[in-house]
Amino acid sequence: MSSNSATKKSHSRWFRWRFHLTGLLILIPFSLIPFYIELMSVFGGANGLGERTIGEKQVGPWRITLAEQFERGPKLDGPAGYMKTFNAALCQQCAEQVKAVYMRLGKPRSLRTAGVIGFGSPYHMSFSMPVPENTSVDADVWLTLEGWDGSLHQVQWPLRQASPATIEFLQQQQEL
Amino acid sequence: MNPDIQTNAPKKRTQWWFLLHSWLAMPIWLFLFFVCLTGTIATVSQEIVWLFDSSVRANPPDKVGAMLTFDEVIKVVEREAPGAYVEQITRPVKSQFALTAEISYPDSTSENVFINPYTGEIQGRAATGFNFRQFVRAIHGWLLIPFNTGFTRYSLGWYMVSILGIPMLLSLITGLVVYKKFWRGFLRPRLRFNRGARVFWGDFHRLAGIWSIPFIFIISVTAIWFMIQGLLFEVGVPFNGASQAPVFVARDEVPVSNQGRPPLISPDQAIAQVNQHYENVETQRVDLPSTAFGHYRILGRSQAFPLVHESFLVNPYTGSIDQAMRVMDQPGLMLTRLSMRALHTGDFVGLSLKLVYFFFGVLLTMMVFSGMRIWMTRTFKSTKAAIRQKTTRAIQPGGSV
Repeated sequence: MSSNSATKKSHSRWFRWRFHLTGLLILIPFSLIPFYIELMSVFGGANGLGERTIGEKQVGPWRITLAEQFERGPKLDGPAGYMKTFNAALCQQCAEQVKAVYMRLGKPRSLRTAGVIGFGSPYHMSFSMPVPENTSVDADVWLTLEGWDGSLHQVQWPLRQASPATIEFLQQQQEL
Repeated sequence: MNPDIQTNAPKKRTQWWFLLHSWLAMPIWLFLFFVCLTGTIATVSQEIVWLFDSSVRANPPDKVGAMLTFDEVIKVVEREAPGAYVEQITRPVKSQFALTAEISYPDSTSENVFINPYTGEIQGRAATGFNFRQFVRAIHGWLLIPFNTGFTRYSLGWYMVSILGIPMLLSLITGLVVYKKFWRGFLRPRLRFNRGARVFWGDFHRLAGIWSIPFIFIISVTAIWFMIQGLLFEVGVPFNGASQAPVFVARDEVPVSNQGRPPLISPDQAIAQVNQHYENVETQRVDLPSTAFGHYRILGRSQAFPLVHESFLVNPYTGSIDQAMRVMDQPGLMLTRLSMRALHTGDFVGLSLKLVYFFFGVLLTMMVFSGMRIWMTRTFKSTKAAIRQKTTRAIQPGGSV
């Protein structure tokens, strides 16, 4: 008898409280706050060029610094395929001399095929570079710098150095 | 309340409607409450920042002269932060807010700089990226769940929130069905404070409900649209229609120069070009060219149809307008998207409408709460009554049947 009424009581308590359970969903945004703040500081450039700076190189008369926006493999961007974001900065002295910076995997044959153009301020150019799934893990990232005077200078980083996470991604893709 | 409601099947159709109304929001009320609350705060998030941070205010001096032009903003930045690049200037018109310039520094960091629109004084700076306004929008709109995680292209949170539009719209419809002759509530409003919580919340729920009919309708329909918009995006439906291919300045129109970057026309000159060719454009934002082949992007709210922004791409070398997106140039889907967003946020007239949205947002949030209170007291009471009845029957020997 008493056990019966106890189950009834607990039943009624459950009956009442189960309707508040979706409140647990509120824990999702609150647990994500630190990640959100980190993400925004990378996007906003508050941390500088990106999550991981790859290095600085001399290209003809100019200097350029390259960074990975995130230390992650490429992301599938719908029909565009896999894309990887790098950021680059020109030195303050050469920012006004360089008209455009292009990026691609492998050596470009001409200016027309120099790759994707860097968007944004010369101190924080952003490149969204397509990464085909069959890219060789020994590929190089080629940067082509075009001066306002028409001059062209090139520099390259081994993809292995530029983005270890992308190498990992390619190895996984190619094992399949 | 009558415990028999639970045992006897409802005889009238309205009772079914009532049950449906009761059950729509109840199982999700706390989550819905959170989304309504954060949405309400988001409507006035910019104004909240304004209240707490004097550097984002317009702060007009005693003798209010003309507002700084876009060129003058660039001069201020050049003077105060030599070598920095201006990426975007927002110049609120007839507003209590300061001018904002987004600038990029040689060390690759960037900042929003708040400039007094009358004196040109830099009143404050904030790192780009995290800010309160964007944070409230993100927590309300997609629960901070990242976009494009591989599973969905939009954030999963986007769908968790926008799907709430469906129970909200159904609650509105069923609520109006069960509230017989609800229009009488407009003529004889009733809010009884002296009859206990249950009566007060019941009165409040009905009164707030009828006055919020248009608001709830707008919010729920636009939320459902946001869900549809996400799904359309997932399957790759383009929103910009024919203009989706980005417009660039042709290579042979970009001058070659031996002295570095050639002179561009200034933002004010670009705006003058637009105003010369198009009537009624009030520029509120200028994006500076983001590559050597990029355009000035001039943005202003349409005067004829304020739900939508109009944009113009001006060639920075020749001054020609290479793309004009007036209201009628927008493809239907884009027009829908822009209008739905403006309707949802209420940010298309100014402070007055934002305050109206805020007020109804508070009402809606409290309706979720009051609905729960009514449901709990009624259901709790009837459950208790049912249990008491069963127990007494069980205790009294031979009492049953």
